[in-house]
Amino acid sequence: MTSFQSTLGEEPGIAEELAENQQAISIAEFFEKNKHMLGFDSGARGLVTAVKEAVDNALDAAEEAGILPDIYVEIQEDGDYYRLIVEDNGPGLTKESLPKVFGKLLYGSRFHVREQNRGQQGIGISAAVLYSQLTSGKPAKITSRTQGESEAQYFELIVDTDDNEPEISVERTTSWDRPHGTRIELEMEANMRARQQLHDYIKHTAVVNPHARLELREPKAEFKFERATDQLPEETEEIRPHPHGVELGTVIKMLAATDSHTVSGFLQEEFTRVGKKTADSVIDAFRDRHYGREMRWRSPAAHEGIELESTVSDATANKGADATAAFADAIAEAVDDRDRIAHHELRADVEAAAEAVEAEHGTTFGETVRENAVEAVWLVLIDAVDDEDDATDVAAADPDGSRLVADLYELVDDATSTRKDDEVVHAFAERLAAKFEDAGEEDVRHRLTRRTLRDHVDRAAELTEEYDDVAFGDTARENVVDAVWNVMATVPDDPPLVRELESDRDASSDLVDGMRETDIMAPPTRCLSPISAELIEAGLEKEFDADFYASSTRDAEVHGGDPFIVEAGIAYGGELEAEGSVDVLRFANRVPLVYQRGACATTDVVRSIGWRNYGLDQPGGSGLPNGPAVIMVHVASTNVPFTSESKDAVANVPEIEDEIELAIREAARELKSYLNKRRSMQKRRKKQNVLGKILPEMAEKVAEVTGRAEPNIDDAIARIMNNVLVEREVERNGDGQSVSVVVENNSSTNESLEITDIVTAEPRNLSDGATVVEMDGEWFVKWEPDVESGGDAALEYEIAADGTFDLDVKGVETEKLTVKQ
Amino acid sequence: MSADTNQEAREQLIDLAAQFYDQFELGEIPHMSVPTRTKSNIEYDEDKSVWVYGDRESTRSANSVRGARKLLKAVYTIEFLANQLEEDRSSTLRELYYLSESWDNEEAQFSDQDESNGLIEDLEIVSGVTREDFHMRPEESGATIMGPLHLREQTRRGEREIHCQEDVGEGGYQIPNNPDTIEFLDNDADFILAVETGGMRDRLVENGFDEEYNALIVHLKGQPARATRRITKRLHDELELPVTVFADGDPWSYRIYGSVAYGSIKSAHLSEYLATPEAKYIGIQPADIVEYDLPTDPLSDSDVNALESELDDPRFQTDYWEEQIELQLEIEKKSEQQSLASHGLDFVTETYLPERLDEMGII
Repeated sequence: MTSFQSTLGEEPGIAEELAENQQAISIAEFFEKNKHMLGFDSGARGLVTAVKEAVDNALDAAEEAGILPDIYVEIQEDGDYYRLIVEDNGPGLTKESLPKVFGKLLYGSRFHVREQNRGQQGIGISAAVLYSQLTSGKPAKITSRTQGESEAQYFELIVDTDDNEPEISVERTTSWDRPHGTRIELEMEANMRARQQLHDYIKHTAVVNPHARLELREPKAEFKFERATDQLPEETEEIRPHPHGVELGTVIKMLAATDSHTVSGFLQEEFTRVGKKTADSVIDAFRDRHYGREMRWRSPAAHEGIELESTVSDATANKGADATAAFADAIAEAVDDRDRIAHHELRADVEAAAEAVEAEHGTTFGETVRENAVEAVWLVLIDAVDDEDDATDVAAADPDGSRLVADLYELVDDATSTRKDDEVVHAFAERLAAKFEDAGEEDVRHRLTRRTLRDHVDRAAELTEEYDDVAFGDTARENVVDAVWNVMATVPDDPPLVRELESDRDASSDLVDGMRETDIMAPPTRCLSPISAELIEAGLEKEFDADFYASSTRDAEVHGGDPFIVEAGIAYGGELEAEGSVDVLRFANRVPLVYQRGACATTDVVRSIGWRNYGLDQPGGSGLPNGPAVIMVHVASTNVPFTSESKDAVANVPEIEDEIELAIREAARELKSYLNKRRSMQKRRKKQNVLGKILPEMAEKVAEVTGRAEPNIDDAIARIMNNVLVEREVERNGDGQSVSVVVENNSSTNESLEITDIVTAEPRNLSDGATVVEMDGEWFVKWEPDVESGGDAALEYEIAADGTFDLDVKGVETEKLTVKQ
Repeated sequence: MSADTNQEAREQLIDLAAQFYDQFELGEIPHMSVPTRTKSNIEYDEDKSVWVYGDRESTRSANSVRGARKLLKAVYTIEFLANQLEEDRSSTLRELYYLSESWDNEEAQFSDQDESNGLIEDLEIVSGVTREDFHMRPEESGATIMGPLHLREQTRRGEREIHCQEDVGEGGYQIPNNPDTIEFLDNDADFILAVETGGMRDRLVENGFDEEYNALIVHLKGQPARATRRITKRLHDELELPVTVFADGDPWSYRIYGSVAYGSIKSAHLSEYLATPEAKYIGIQPADIVEYDLPTDPLSDSDVNALESELDDPRFQTDYWEEQIELQLEIEKKSEQQSLASHGLDFVTETYLPERLDEMGII
């Protein structure tokens, strides 16, 4: 059938014409058209993103300089526009770097650094400048003063979108009341519809940055968030990349850049957690991939009737009978000592034998002699002796086939299921041995990569399936490959030098594979700055008025070579909203994530947890739990995987999700025990209320029936409630009175009490373990006994007759305590 | 009833209250222990040949809200009983239950009659005083005696001398709640025949069985009341009359026999006082069902369960009962006393009973 191809027509130069229209796009121009990628997709969102970028930068700057951040955010309404002002007390920027920081996209100090920072790409703040200039047409106004400068620098600038360079319109010095810091003023088309997100962002920032002081001033409102601690987060250190987290391209670049000559040196110099030993392991793994392993065959057993001595002797000419015999003996013995032997091992043995005999007999065993010996012995070992001379002999010795078959049969038989019958296994072993023999034509050393080995096994298996009509599945094949591969020996060949590797993509790829394959210690966590469980609680306490706080910090883990730490916190009860689902506060590197909640790994994990187990209400048993609670999760990493450039949601990376889950569960367990305790206290209170009514009535009735005075029932009640009973007994003792305070622990747990008895006269003869402090004519008797379940303890002292006392007991829940003065 | 007994019973009760008082004063949790009243906690008392409670005890303690309520109710009940004894009045178990409604404390009121009955049993056991001596009586059980017996009853309205054949109508002599107020004067009886159902009792009276065989016919009216068992015991002990029990041929009737002969589980503390271990079972035996070819009903599931539970019951672990129960489980049938009428109205008095009593060596 004929087809008519449509043609371009007669005019020449179409391609050229089209080419004229093709030109480079500046990155700034690109983002101008793709604002949403950076979180500037609407006026409402743009304002929040701008605040976020400016505040993140400010926090990073102050912390890096070791200054406790003090950040002021102001939003002014100005006609159709909003003016955003962010001021910090950071170290300020130099005159030279300032325009670039604000006026050039992808300019920053952190992109190449493996260290936890809020910002990473160097896009954020310049994108905000870009957004402001696009919507309002006005330049960004920036003031910055470095420590010790008498005057501050003032700039007005925009981003020149054609060449992604700052375009400065005003540059002068100015006076500023802050001794150091930076102030940026941006005017933009915006609205306050996302006010809630803005507040969330600022409030949540305050939670995870308890060391920062934040102030937000809006046209009609003002918020201040004070510090909860004066402790700056620990300074992070930059780390070298981890071998598990680098890609081929990066490695090739690193190979080109390194000063090292050897691969071992390169690995140790350029990567974290790689020392000599690890480097050797990596290189071994590289060798296995790059050169392959050599098959180790079984050394001849006695019954095989193989005499290596004669083989060696036959192969060795003109070396004198004694020396030859010694040489042959040494080799035969060395081979015999080994269980299995590979070609390079045989060579080493021959070398050693040659050296030893040379030393003893003074006969030189040159390269050729050694080579001959190696070849002769090896051929015997792999049953490849050219046996035209005595064909009958060999056949008689090996009625079941070659040595290789016998050897492989054993390995295969062990590796495959017992259901395969002997015949089949034997046939398979024969076929596999044949592959080795074929391969031996090319490389007599039987050197194979795992992949080639697998090919051989596959081929042998296919033939077996075809001729013997049995299944030889993938698992069986893999098991055989494993069994054989495991007896094979890594070759001692030197790895290529760095400069050779650099230009050899395949070898480099083998190296990267080897690095991934090797077990290497997790990267150090100096580069991370977790908030710490303690400060998470402090942060939550500061911003949420709850009854209970719990937190957890996991140990560092690695994902793609980047270490990360997950922390979680939970606040419960108090003033928190009881209706509807709980709030989930998400953080990445101390930055609150306020958008795309549903797309975030954090939210997914919270949803997947069975919260009913932990005492929270969860309609339907899955999804976000209900209740007066806030759950916060912080992921700190040198490279947090986000779902997009606008950094709104953590990507669903299994390693990170697992850690998030463990961190949340850890904190949730504390919540559970708190809720259980609260419930049991409620029950106890209820019981106490009921018994507190019934027992006095019973006592009253008993007294009535027996005609006696009403009995004292406090002790009985304390016992019934399993309470801790603290009871004072006072006895007149001459002029004074002797006092004893008895603690009786009726509860099922051991209790530690803090008892303070405030007395108006000086106590004497204080019993052991108590201390007394005088303050303004009052004596504070302090006593902190540990009383085991069912046990009791007593504090005793004497005071003057007119002394009075006041008992204060702490350390035991009020529900569990009965105090009798 | 003498004032002495009243006084004694009252003191026992007050002692119990005083025990709670002392427990309070010592800072102990108020409590009282009573034997566990279950099948697994009764054992045979070789000396007295009756079944009594074993060593297992249940503690009623103020440790829990439930326990505290129980003890509060106990104290209120003690007060009530003490007052009742002081005033020499009596009340029924049901009255106690309703009376608790009038107590000032809601927590002390009983939620059902089982609770108040159980409490009275507790108090009986702990104080060692019988319910009758507390002046607590059950609802009228209406059990009767018919036969050649002359007795004197101490009633609230004075002494009455009654002959249980000549001075009574066809209904017989009604057993009072406290049979210890009766004095036996004279009798011509040869044995006691305790009958389960009213229909059979009336048949025997109509046929003149009591006259012909000098039998004291005691109507059990189903599960016999304490008073019925007590008077049976007294008749046996004091007049040396053999006791026989004539009931239906089903597991529930064996229990009736069991409570006459061995004592009931709920009142095992009074077995010595209520049980007549020498009582013999006439029938209907499962063997009779086969032998006399009686009309039958199939065993229901609950019958089978009851039979199996009786095999576990220490009171029924004798060769005789095991054989009978296993036979019944095998034939899967049961018969009523009145099924004997299938052989004619006189069959029971002319054939069945004389044959059985003869076999048992009673006549």
